[in-house]
Amino acid sequence: MPDDLTTYAENTWCPGCGNFGIFNAFKNAVKRLEQEDGINRNNILITAGIGCHAKIFDYLDLSGFYSLHGREIATAQGMKLANPSVTVVAFAGDGDAFGEGIEHLIFAAKRNADITVIIHDNGVYGLTTGQFTPTSPEGFRGPSTPFGSPEEPLNPIKLMLSIGATFVARGFSGKLKELTDVFYQAMKHKGFSFVDVLQPCVSFNDTYKLYNSKVEVLPQPANTVEEAMKLAEQTEKLPIGVFYQTQAPTYHEKLLGDLNLATQRASREQRWESIKALLQQNV
Amino acid sequence: MEKELFTFIAGGTAGAGIRKAGAVSGYIFTRMGRRVFEMEDYQSLIKGGHNFAVVSSATYPIKSHYMRADLVVATDKRSYDIHKEHLNDGGIMVYNADAMKDEAVPNGVGLPFTTISRKYTNSELRLGVGAIAVLAVAIGMSKEELAEVIRSQYRDAENNINFAMEIYDAAAPQLLGKFTLKKTNEKPLPMISGNEAISLGAVAGGLDFFCAYPMTPASSILHFLAAHAKDFHIGVMHPESELAAINMALGAASMGLKTMVASSGGGMALMEEAFSLSGMAEVPVLAVLGSRPGPSTGVPTYTEQGDLRFALNQGHGEFPRVVASPSTMEEAFYLAAEMLALVQEFQTVGILLTEKHLEESRMTVDIDPAKAPWGEPIMYQGGDEKYLRYKITEDGISPLLFPPSDQVIKFTSYEHDEYGIATEDPNMIAKMHEKRARKQETLVKKLMQMHTVNVFGHGEPVIFTYGSTTMSVLEALHHVNMEAAVVQPIYLEPFPTWEFEKFKNVEPIVIEQSVMGAFETLIREKTGIRAKASIRKYDGRPFDPEELAKQIKEAL
Repeated sequence: MPDDLTTYAENTWCPGCGNFGIFNAFKNAVKRLEQEDGINRNNILITAGIGCHAKIFDYLDLSGFYSLHGREIATAQGMKLANPSVTVVAFAGDGDAFGEGIEHLIFAAKRNADITVIIHDNGVYGLTTGQFTPTSPEGFRGPSTPFGSPEEPLNPIKLMLSIGATFVARGFSGKLKELTDVFYQAMKHKGFSFVDVLQPCVSFNDTYKLYNSKVEVLPQPANTVEEAMKLAEQTEKLPIGVFYQTQAPTYHEKLLGDLNLATQRASREQRWESIKALLQQNV
Repeated sequence: MEKELFTFIAGGTAGAGIRKAGAVSGYIFTRMGRRVFEMEDYQSLIKGGHNFAVVSSATYPIKSHYMRADLVVATDKRSYDIHKEHLNDGGIMVYNADAMKDEAVPNGVGLPFTTISRKYTNSELRLGVGAIAVLAVAIGMSKEELAEVIRSQYRDAENNINFAMEIYDAAAPQLLGKFTLKKTNEKPLPMISGNEAISLGAVAGGLDFFCAYPMTPASSILHFLAAHAKDFHIGVMHPESELAAINMALGAASMGLKTMVASSGGGMALMEEAFSLSGMAEVPVLAVLGSRPGPSTGVPTYTEQGDLRFALNQGHGEFPRVVASPSTMEEAFYLAAEMLALVQEFQTVGILLTEKHLEESRMTVDIDPAKAPWGEPIMYQGGDEKYLRYKITEDGISPLLFPPSDQVIKFTSYEHDEYGIATEDPNMIAKMHEKRARKQETLVKKLMQMHTVNVFGHGEPVIFTYGSTTMSVLEALHHVNMEAAVVQPIYLEPFPTWEFEKFKNVEPIVIEQSVMGAFETLIREKTGIRAKASIRKYDGRPFDPEELAKQIKEAL
């Protein structure tokens, strides 16, 4: 359904794709931020990696930067540092964030960059026709692993908890209300927020039945990282919701203090004076 | 006789304060109204090995160090062994007698540097102070003048002054006033490195955000800007990798910041995908490429011009980009500002190509920050129903607008329509290619109005060179008082072919620091001009003007 958050771009996700759930939940969360928190959508900026997930950049009528595969989290951090008054959301695939660009995910969490990262975690490279990803189960058969993946999948929630991410959550694209709520909280969180969204790929990795039978809503976040770790280790049931949240100073505050680089730049004349003073010290 | 040109070499292990001694000697010469060029030769290690600083000063605007010295202070045996070959006629070797006990030393003045330094804490670190004390004696400075220099240039001044006075007393009987240096009435000029010049030029040109991962010889840009970030009200970040650096810089640029990154060949190779992104998304960024001998890890702390082709061909796909290379520290200052302005106007990547020799050598400069160019991007002034990030225009430049805004602004790595939505439409793909190609034409027209090629001197022979090698060539010609026309393209992409029309019938000598002659083949490819002779150096060391002058004469 076209609405004022949707562009004219033709939507080419497969019918039934989990990306629709993420798309709709995100739009709902933006509207809720506008209504309940007075945050204007003009101040919500997006980035995306490359893959099926990233088409959300073309579908959402919001400003931002359609980045490179694996680099969307770096791009997002540059945008936030440039002007900390905006809310920046990076959409990433599991191949982007846990494969090609895992360094940026880890360091964004480590430094508590004040951005939100949303992973469209479908356990498969859809757009390149079905190869295994860092979150595919061992034994996953795809064109690059015809006899089954020999690798154990990584656990994104545990990874983020161990690095000290200040907001760690999991969502399911099939549970719109809960997903909207997690996105809303993630964008409101001051500091690094991470949402791993379990997402079926109807063409290459259809996990609807599996997730529908396993997903269980967390009543509240864990009180400690250790408790959250235990929740993240569960495999019989897959908890969704906020696993852990804490408050810490953000990266831009620690690096720049109150300085807004985009709105408080030094004038040309001020620059000349500082340069002259510095050269004079050299004489 | 008063000396116009004077060269001082201080040598020792890493950790002996040799680099500092080089800088402090420069300070002494500048205060005599002399011009200074200092080259630091150091190895890729923290302690031990062999470091030396060569500091040449003169009463004219000197453009290179000389490898033959009037005074050498060798604080260890290795320095003696290496630099005994580097003495001028009448040059004096002062060596550390404690390090040479069992050696037959035919020439020179031995001083017990180590014995004296052991009376003080951190004794090894003080050896460089000892070299300064020897210099002070040899050029006839008084003890009071020496103490004042140490007080203003060194920490722990009291101990350093006491140590220096002991060295002074030990050296004076044999060395006092051996050299008289000609002074001038010129005001003392500041001495800065090429990397400091690039940093300051970028700041003067409007730099807001610098992001880099350390890599020699570019790292000192990061260090310098990080140390002065608060003075300039800029952001400086050292992130997890070069990939992060360039992508963060592009993210920040999409918000309207003027951004710069810097690295050497290996780091640039990692950034290359994002240079292509800059071309497609039309987000400006200036990248400093500091060359060292390659390929691969190569020789990290030495110099070469082997990255010319690499710089010209950065980024997959076809898009406009600017590559230019400065010849001197002063030119580096203004060029950094000018290129920052150009990349804003043309919304693409610029590469400031330079070498370790320019980046880490230090030179007296006469810089006026108010003369640095300043460029703002062409901004959207309204008028369309909706803002179009990639509006198709006649000159290929689509006016910019930065978030946050009441308009939606979509930057993208995909081929796109005017609004910024990915497209596979053949008509749109061709139109966008043509838009960027027209931007290239506009860029060429702009460069045709700018100063893109330096021509020094006149007559024959004609010498083509570029980058910091230009300084070596000019100093070599000055040294032997040889007439020549030296042609140095500052801009290398787009290549200023129009400026070479007047040279189409000359047979130049081409001088560069490259084994395969990348510059010579570029000249031939772009202008059809064939070299009569080539002078190439590729041992990691910059040219010595005396040697180079001989080679030029041989090539005639």
